Amino acid sequence: MSSDVSTGARHDGQASPEPPDRPAAAPPARRRSLAEWRAGFTRFLRTEPLGAVSLVLIALVVLVAVFAPLVAPHDPLLQNRTRITEGPSAQFLLGTDDLGRDVLSRLIYGARSSMLIAVLTTAISLVLGTVFGVVSGYLGRTRDLLIQRVMDTIQSVPPLVLLLFMAVVLTPSIHGTIIALVIVITPSFNRVARAETLRIKEEPYIEAARATGAGALRIMTRHVLPNMMAPLLTMASLLFAGVIIAESALSFLGIGTPPPTPSWGLMLSEGVRYVEMAPWMVIAPGVVLSLAVFAFNLLGDALRDFLDPRLHR
Amino acid sequence: MIRYVVRRLGYGLIVLFLVTVFVFVAMTFIPSDAVDLMLADTGASEEQAAELRAELGIDRPVHEQLFSFLGGALQGDFGRSFYTDEPVMQLFLDRIPVTLQLGGLALAVGTALGVALGILAAVRRGTRSDSAIRGVAVAGLSVPNYVVGLLLLTVLGLWFAWSPPFVYVGPTEDFASWAQQMALPAIALGTSAVAGTTRMTRSSLLENLGSQFIRTVRAKGASERLVLYKHALRNSVISVLTLLGVNLGTILGGTVILEQMFSLPGTGQLIYQSVLDRDYPVVIACTIFYAGLFVITMIIIDVLYALIDPRIRAAREAGT
Repeated sequence: MSSDVSTGARHDGQASPEPPDRPAAAPPARRRSLAEWRAGFTRFLRTEPLGAVSLVLIALVVLVAVFAPLVAPHDPLLQNRTRITEGPSAQFLLGTDDLGRDVLSRLIYGARSSMLIAVLTTAISLVLGTVFGVVSGYLGRTRDLLIQRVMDTIQSVPPLVLLLFMAVVLTPSIHGTIIALVIVITPSFNRVARAETLRIKEEPYIEAARATGAGALRIMTRHVLPNMMAPLLTMASLLFAGVIIAESALSFLGIGTPPPTPSWGLMLSEGVRYVEMAPWMVIAPGVVLSLAVFAFNLLGDALRDFLDPRLHR
Repeated sequence: MIRYVVRRLGYGLIVLFLVTVFVFVAMTFIPSDAVDLMLADTGASEEQAAELRAELGIDRPVHEQLFSFLGGALQGDFGRSFYTDEPVMQLFLDRIPVTLQLGGLALAVGTALGVALGILAAVRRGTRSDSAIRGVAVAGLSVPNYVVGLLLLTVLGLWFAWSPPFVYVGPTEDFASWAQQMALPAIALGTSAVAGTTRMTRSSLLENLGSQFIRTVRAKGASERLVLYKHALRNSVISVLTLLGVNLGTILGGTVILEQMFSLPGTGQLIYQSVLDRDYPVVIACTIFYAGLFVITMIIIDVLYALIDPRIRAAREAGT
């Protein structure tokens, strides 16, 4: 019974275009069916054309990353010592780098490490940040105080400086990069989740759930959590973009993904020395990196407009 | 108000203490320590290594290291570089002017330009210039600052055969040379600040322009100019200030890469070089200094909030 009330509120902002603060009891309570998801998705594509564009871009990057061995025209590590810093040609569409490696193939494989790190980092931070935020906001008192002081501490160091510091502590590797990024990103999710929890806690359906005898754990997982999915999703998309930038910056500085694994940041740092001789070594990864970030920023914006009930007109 | 500032400063100190604890605890996770790295090529014996460890004080347990660091810090001694033996404080103070010049320039230009563009977009809402500004803003937010720097270098070097001077000179010695060297990294760093500020100004202005108090002001017959600049914009300053804090963090971090790229001898270069050298005392102290810089600016922003918005001031003086 109690879960009926809470899932009702979840439907408000997402499934109905009507005013946001409708009484929580209105829509019938049930798990959302596949058809409803599909309807919501179609509506998203229709109302947010830029969001649709971003989804196409993201799908492209993800597909290329997953099927890199099939898509890449050359071996990204193969060095053609006789063909170094060659301009774009039919054989090497985006030219070759200082070791004669195909820039396009390296870009394609670079999408792999970039996406892998960004997906894992965002997912882990999302879970950790949400758990800390909800526990902190719902239980309050000492737990809130403790968790928030730790988060404040992390957030009081500029992100890249903290990443540099973590680079000294952890060995340069993909999992080291992920751990460092998770530490930097988690407080942002925590902040959103905590603020949302504090808001949701005051809703009548939480009181109703409590009155029916639901425990703290049940309320947090079944009632509080489902109702903050919209802002969390938006945040995740925007932070995903931030993680791509941060990861590339770390590789650019030579303290992220270790060579020879192709990564966009690494390609940029290799290109710096050849800016005048082989500008494609800088321009190609610079453009691809920016496009990927652009797609996730765009998606975040579209999701915010779409999911935020206050913005429905 | 003064009580609030004092309380805020006290909290800032606590946060800095926690940062210090975090840093020292994290240092215990280091796989191979600096001494091995320092002596790797010298063929020094295990005894000599142990001696060096004792001299540097890294053979002691973490809490002892932490307390001796804090004890020194209270007297203004933040440790010495492993390599040059210079006090870290001195190293940092020597280099901070360059970073402050670069960061300040980027933040000032970024915020000013962003507010101007944001006003323009809000006033012309729904027109072509509005969508153009919004599009450019999302794009500007998406190109990482160091990529902007790289692309600027590429384009200017390739097509205009121009590259910035390579040796840093202070603005008082040779202003033209200084300006040439600062321009590109400042533009690169400012790009995302412009983009973010434009978006924030636009959305906050639109929100304010649609609110009740603006309707009242309009009903009283105020000119559109007065409505915009005196009433709506004033209420948007708070959101722009909030963003200023976020931008500051990004810009402070961004100086690390851009100082490297444009060979500017700032603190970013110092911390980066120390990370590569595993010069732990410098890395530790610089991380804490950066946190200090950040915390102090956030306090200033918080105090500005209270000065600008009487509602916030009232809430804070009531002690919440």
